[in-house]
Amino acid sequence: MRKLVGRYVFGPSSNGLSLASRASRRRMSWLTGAFLIGASLSQTLPVEAAKIRGKVVGFKFLRNPVWVEAQDPSRHLFSFREAVPTVPSDVRQLYPHIPKEICVVALAATAQKAPPPVLIRVGGGRTTPVTIVVPPMTQLSFQNTDPFPHRLFGVGIGTFSPNDTMRGGNRDWTVPAPGTYEIRDESAPSLRMWIIAEPNVAAIAYPSLRGEFGLNINEPGEYTIQAYFAGKATGPATVVKIDQADVEMKTPVTLAKVADKSAGDKKDADKSDQDKSDDAKSDDGKSGAENSKASDGKSQEK
Amino acid sequence: MLLTRFWMVLLSLLYGAAVFVLFLAMSMYNRAGTRTMAERLSSDSQVVSWYLKEDARLRAAQLIPFAVNQQLARALQKSSEADGKIPTAAQEKVQVALRAANAKIAEDMTFDAVFAVDQHGRVVAQLGYQQALGMDDFELGGYPVVADALHGYIRDDTLVLDRVYRVVARPVEIEIGQPPAGAVIGARIVDDKFARELSTRTNAAIGFFARGARVASGAPEGFDKSQLDQIVGDLEEMSKDEAFREKGRSNMRVIDGLLGVQYSRLPGEAWALGAGYAVARLPDQVTSPVGFFQKSDDKDKKQANWIVAALMALGATALGLLFSYFEHTRPLHYLRREAIRLAKGELDQLHPSKFRGIFRKIASELNDGIDQVAAKGGVPRKAADLKQVLGDIPDQPQMSAFAFAGDAAAAPPSSVVSSPQASRPLPSAPQRGAPPAPGRRAPPSPKRDAEEAAAAASSGANAKAAQWRQVYEEFVTTKQQCGEDTENFTYEKFEVTLKKNEAAIVQRHAASGVNFSVYVKDGKAALKASPVRDT
Repeated sequence: MRKLVGRYVFGPSSNGLSLASRASRRRMSWLTGAFLIGASLSQTLPVEAAKIRGKVVGFKFLRNPVWVEAQDPSRHLFSFREAVPTVPSDVRQLYPHIPKEICVVALAATAQKAPPPVLIRVGGGRTTPVTIVVPPMTQLSFQNTDPFPHRLFGVGIGTFSPNDTMRGGNRDWTVPAPGTYEIRDESAPSLRMWIIAEPNVAAIAYPSLRGEFGLNINEPGEYTIQAYFAGKATGPATVVKIDQADVEMKTPVTLAKVADKSAGDKKDADKSDQDKSDDAKSDDGKSGAENSKASDGKSQEK
Repeated sequence: MLLTRFWMVLLSLLYGAAVFVLFLAMSMYNRAGTRTMAERLSSDSQVVSWYLKEDARLRAAQLIPFAVNQQLARALQKSSEADGKIPTAAQEKVQVALRAANAKIAEDMTFDAVFAVDQHGRVVAQLGYQQALGMDDFELGGYPVVADALHGYIRDDTLVLDRVYRVVARPVEIEIGQPPAGAVIGARIVDDKFARELSTRTNAAIGFFARGARVASGAPEGFDKSQLDQIVGDLEEMSKDEAFREKGRSNMRVIDGLLGVQYSRLPGEAWALGAGYAVARLPDQVTSPVGFFQKSDDKDKKQANWIVAALMALGATALGLLFSYFEHTRPLHYLRREAIRLAKGELDQLHPSKFRGIFRKIASELNDGIDQVAAKGGVPRKAADLKQVLGDIPDQPQMSAFAFAGDAAAAPPSSVVSSPQASRPLPSAPQRGAPPAPGRRAPPSPKRDAEEAAAAASSGANAKAAQWRQVYEEFVTTKQQCGEDTENFTYEKFEVTLKKNEAAIVQRHAASGVNFSVYVKDGKAALKASPVRDT
């Protein structure tokens, strides 16, 4: 891989964290493809870096907390809401848009350096990505991509008070210490973002719609692969040993085995749809029960 | 006067009661008006809410041509399959499909903006949203309304972006049983046009607000739309309204006594942002009892029973007049008549028993007064100015005034020689129950009257001639003292003048005679004539 210096950028052309200047982002993504521009979390990418390829499954059992809240009639977020019967019931579940909401992380055994500033796009009622895991002291640059102002603030974060970010404008914030932070927008209640500050983060990646992801690893060693969703670790942690060669994870990372009740499924208006979804097969063709067997506990990949 | 007074008090009480009833009616009317206004506002708010919901459903139905457009579905599918940049071909096809489907929408149901998004939530193409032109990474996927549509739901929302938008979205399916290829979103700007349309259909005065400002308003005919600007000043206070915060609809509020308002939140994300709409009505209240006249229309005036009101007023007036006639006008008239009779000498005194109330007392006191005067033997009266009575008198002799005998105040100056009869007292009135006053003549018998009359006539003519001669001499002396010429001033001329004036004075004052006296006026000798009346 080429050695590039620039900012981590999330864009529609990328399903992960890529290292590219903003100007070259589109050209690079055009040349290498969205998936291959990958997600490696380091300031410099050595040419000999290896890649961990894997797949997440069971994400249809997760529920986007914002969307689940929005379907609660008592919140008055709509005057009518009707299911289209021709759409399959499992699709009608409010599972997350994983290219933006599931962050797959490779955790090293030791603490890692903070990467260059990471660009977070703010637009379309959410941030891109929605969940991100970074080492502490990482600078995040929030860029407003909407044609109207946003007013971001950190929930309970004194250093991130509500402030306007105009169209095309940026707002920088450095993650101060390990922990979980939530960012919201006073002018867009649906916008919620989670930042997890984890010292050992070596690389992060975002899966495609099909669940496939690739982590660029700079240093050989043993890494723990963990997925994060809505500010929390989701699914089992998988330990992967990597040398010079790329590693293919044989067992997919199962994010959830059954529908996540805590995410508000009990409020789901369409109970019959919910019942059907429990029996629905996940995107890899296995049922939820099969997935749970396959990913029970930590697994070893080499 | 008792009845009149009682009637006045009664009328005053009735007047006070009428005013009190008017105030009472005003209060009741205002209270009823307030209650009615609250009910109407609540009704307006409900109607607007139903309209917004119904409108959203109807507009969601307008998205069907987009949702079943296979060209659109295929192009969105292509876009969804691309993890990187949206294929240009897909963008172009979606744009064409959007235009084609949009052209089929009825004019009154058109959207201000239509978006087609793929499964990633990216806007592949759009119509009408100029702000996003040239933005390649423009997306909408994070909004629950779009996410719902991408997951197979049709629903509405109200988004507060650069402006307030009423939004409907539905999935675009490429094949039954498959996940949607994307979604189509129709947006309607909440602006004055929208508010006007809504106002026309619901007949409610409505103002939309967001971020503490009015964003649109519309009002039916007869309602000044600018009055809705008043809600801006009330928004901060209203946001503390518990009902508004918890139920999404405030209680009725009256702004400055001029505008009744009820606030409601808009459904959707706008709900959480405190954006909503206010329906308003003008308070139907009267500020004073006279306000009822201003409020009443021709129909009200026709229904009012004018005849009863007029009859009551006439009856009250008639009663009042009747009471005052019996207690005031009639006794006064009688008193006047009796006074005239007294003056003419037909009565010696008033008869108090014929009067009532205060008039009886007046009559009694008048009698007492007459008695008092009579007891004093009469009172000299003021002399009348002869010139005022007779007009200009010839110089020979100059007679400028006359006086009643006995009027000390009108007596000639001390330099004037008075006639012997000038200080003759007035006859005294008989005193009730008292013996005749000294000097008062006893009633004469008829025979003696005739004899005395003949003697008196003879001696009277002589006495008058002697008196006039004496006056003439005094007059000539006075003229000479004043330096006037008396050469041609003869007694004959003087006598002619006196006779002429005497006749005129006797006729005018019904006097029995005239006494003349000499005095000096403006440095010249003058005569004063005093009529003499029989007692």
